[in-house]
Amino acid sequence: MQLKIGRRLPMDCPMPPLAWLLVPLTWLALAATARADGWELDLDGRLVSSNANPSYTQGGISGVRFDEDQSGLKLGRARFALTESLGELWSVHLDASAWGDHDRIPVGLTEAYLQFRPYPFAGYRLRVKAGAFYPPVSLENRAAGWESPYTLSYSAIDSWLAIEVRTIGVEAQLDWLGTRQGHDFDLAATAGAFGWNEGAGGFIAGDGFTLTDRQTPYGGRVGLPGDPVLMNFEPFRQLDGRAGLYGGLELRWLDRVVVRALRYDNRADPSAMDNATNAIAWETSFDSVGLRAESADGWTAIAQGLKGNTAIAPGGFYLTWPFKSEYALVAKKLGQHMLSLRYDRFEVDTNIAGGDGSETGHAWTAAYSYTPNEHWRFTLEWLRVTSNSYYRNDVFGLAALATETQLQLAVRYALGSGLR
Amino acid sequence: MRPPARPHSHRTPFRALASLGALLCALAAGAPARAATLVITVQTFDGRPLSGAVVTAHPLDAPAHRVPPIKAVMDQVNRAFAPDLLVIPVGSTVTFPNTDSVSHQIYSFSAAKRFQLPLYRGTPYPPVHFDQAGVVILGCNIHDEMVGYLVVTDAAYYGRADAKGAWSNEVARGRYRITIWHPRMRDEAADLERELTVGEADHAELTLRLTKSLTPAPLADRPHSWDY
Repeated sequence: MQLKIGRRLPMDCPMPPLAWLLVPLTWLALAATARADGWELDLDGRLVSSNANPSYTQGGISGVRFDEDQSGLKLGRARFALTESLGELWSVHLDASAWGDHDRIPVGLTEAYLQFRPYPFAGYRLRVKAGAFYPPVSLENRAAGWESPYTLSYSAIDSWLAIEVRTIGVEAQLDWLGTRQGHDFDLAATAGAFGWNEGAGGFIAGDGFTLTDRQTPYGGRVGLPGDPVLMNFEPFRQLDGRAGLYGGLELRWLDRVVVRALRYDNRADPSAMDNATNAIAWETSFDSVGLRAESADGWTAIAQGLKGNTAIAPGGFYLTWPFKSEYALVAKKLGQHMLSLRYDRFEVDTNIAGGDGSETGHAWTAAYSYTPNEHWRFTLEWLRVTSNSYYRNDVFGLAALATETQLQLAVRYALGSGLR
Repeated sequence: MRPPARPHSHRTPFRALASLGALLCALAAGAPARAATLVITVQTFDGRPLSGAVVTAHPLDAPAHRVPPIKAVMDQVNRAFAPDLLVIPVGSTVTFPNTDSVSHQIYSFSAAKRFQLPLYRGTPYPPVHFDQAGVVILGCNIHDEMVGYLVVTDAAYYGRADAKGAWSNEVARGRYRITIWHPRMRDEAADLERELTVGEADHAELTLRLTKSLTPAPLADRPHSWDY
C-alpha cells in the first residue's frame, strides 16, 4: 500500500470563465427574487494576517483556512440564497456561494432542497426535506447560510461537516410540540437516508481537522487535481449501491436549551473503488452529542462532542482512522456587540503501523463582532491552532508540531427580505 | 390592563359593553342597583405583581348572561403576533392580518378551536369565529418563534392585571368564581380558582398568589433568521 505521497504545489487548476456562469445566474436570481418569499445576498470581505502552513485549498495541511501566502484582502464568501413557497405545503431553498479560491467551480450550491411542511396535527408535526443539506449536528451554525453568528471560523467538528459531509437524500423529522400545549418541552426525532457522500472521511485521514468557514459546494473538490488519492477527492460521490442512514433525537426546553444527539453511518463499502479516477469509498460513521443553552441576559454556551471512524479497504488492506473532537463555546451578547470564546480539541488515530494520517491538536478562537444594523456586520477574530500531524512531516518535510495563528477582520454586507 | 398594542383596539368599546352588561345583569338578577368594586390582585409565587394575568369573574347566583361578542384584530408584525394575547367573549370573531413582508401560516390545534390559515400576506381571510371557551394557542407553521394566545371566555367580567398585578371592575353584588391565567403560569388554572362574595361593602378584594414559578419569558434579542 503506497501512502507516501508527494503533493503538487502550488495549484494551477483550470477555472471555467466566471462571467459565463455569473450572467445567467444573476439573471435567474433577479427573475426569481422578484416574487420570492425570501432571498438574501451577502458579501463578506476579509483582511487576513496568517502565519499558517499552506492550507488545504492550496494543496497543503494547515489548521486554518488562510495560510501565510493568503494574508491580505480576501473574499470570505459571496452568497445568494432563495426560499420560495411552492403551493401551500412545499417550499424550495437554494444556497449558492463563491469563496474566492480555486475550486473547480467558482460558484456552487452548498445546500439545495425541497421541504414538505404539513400543518401540525394533534400536537405533532412532520417535516420532510429532500435534496442536499446538512445533517442535524451543528449547534453553533444556526445563522443563514449555515454560518456561525459567534465566530468566523467554525469549530473543528462543523468545519469537517462544511468540507465533506452533506446529506444528499431525504430526511424526516417528527416534532412533538409540547410548548404549544402548555408544557415546557418540545421533542423531535429525525431520520435520514442518503447517498453520494462516500468521499466523506478522506479529509480526516488525509488532512486531519482544520478550522475553516469554507463550505465545499456540490461538484466541488477537496485538495488539488493531481494530488494523491488521500488528499484529492470529491466528497459528494457514490461508489457502491448502499445508502447511508442516520437517526437523531432532540430535546428543547422552552426556547432556552437544546440537546441534540445523532448517530450517523454512511454504510459505504470500503472496498469500492472507481478505477477510472482512483476514488475510494470511505466507510464513515460517527456519534454526535451537543447542548446549547441561552440566557435572557445574552449568554450562550455550547458544548459538543463527535466521535467516529473512517475506513478504506483497497486491495485487501483494511485501514481505519478513528477520530474525535470536542468543543466548548461561550458567547456574551451586549446589544449590538458580541464576544465569543471557543476551545476545540481533536484527534485522529490510525491502525497503520507508521501512524499515517494521525493527528492531535487543539485550538482557541476569540471573536468580537459589532452588528450596527441588519445590513452590516464587522467581526474581528483571532484563531490559534496547535497540532501535531504525521503527514505535515512525512509529506511536506515540515515539523510535525505546528502552532498557527490567523487574524481576520471581516466586513459583511447583507441585503435581502428575511435578514432579521 | 396592558396598554393596547394598536390604537384601534377593541378594549374601549368593550369596556363600555362590559359596564352595560354588568348593569343589565344586576337589573336582571334583581340585585341592588348599587354596584360594588371588585379588585383582584395577582402575584407571582414570590409575591411580585403579575402584570398581564387574565382575570375572569363568573357570577354564581345570578342567571348566566352573555357578554356580547366582539370583533377583534390580532396582527402579525415583525414575525410576532400583535398583541400576543387577546381576551374575547365566546362568540367573538378575530381577524388575523399579516402586515409583514414575509408570508405566515397560522394554526391552532387547541381543543377550544382547531383551525389553520393557509400561507398568506395581507388580509385575505374572513374573521375566525371562536364559539367555545378555553385557551387557544396560536403558532406559525413557518416561523416557530411565533406564539400567540386567545383566551375565549364566557365570564360576565374579565380583563387583564395592570402593572401592579391588579384588575378591578364594577360588579353586581353576589357570589363569584374567580379564575386567573397567564401564558407563563405553571400552576393549573383549576388549582387557582376561588369563590368570593361581593357583599354590602363598596369594595371586595382578593389576592391570588401563584404556587409555582413562572416559566422564563421568551428570548427577545435573538434575530429571527437564526435557527430557533
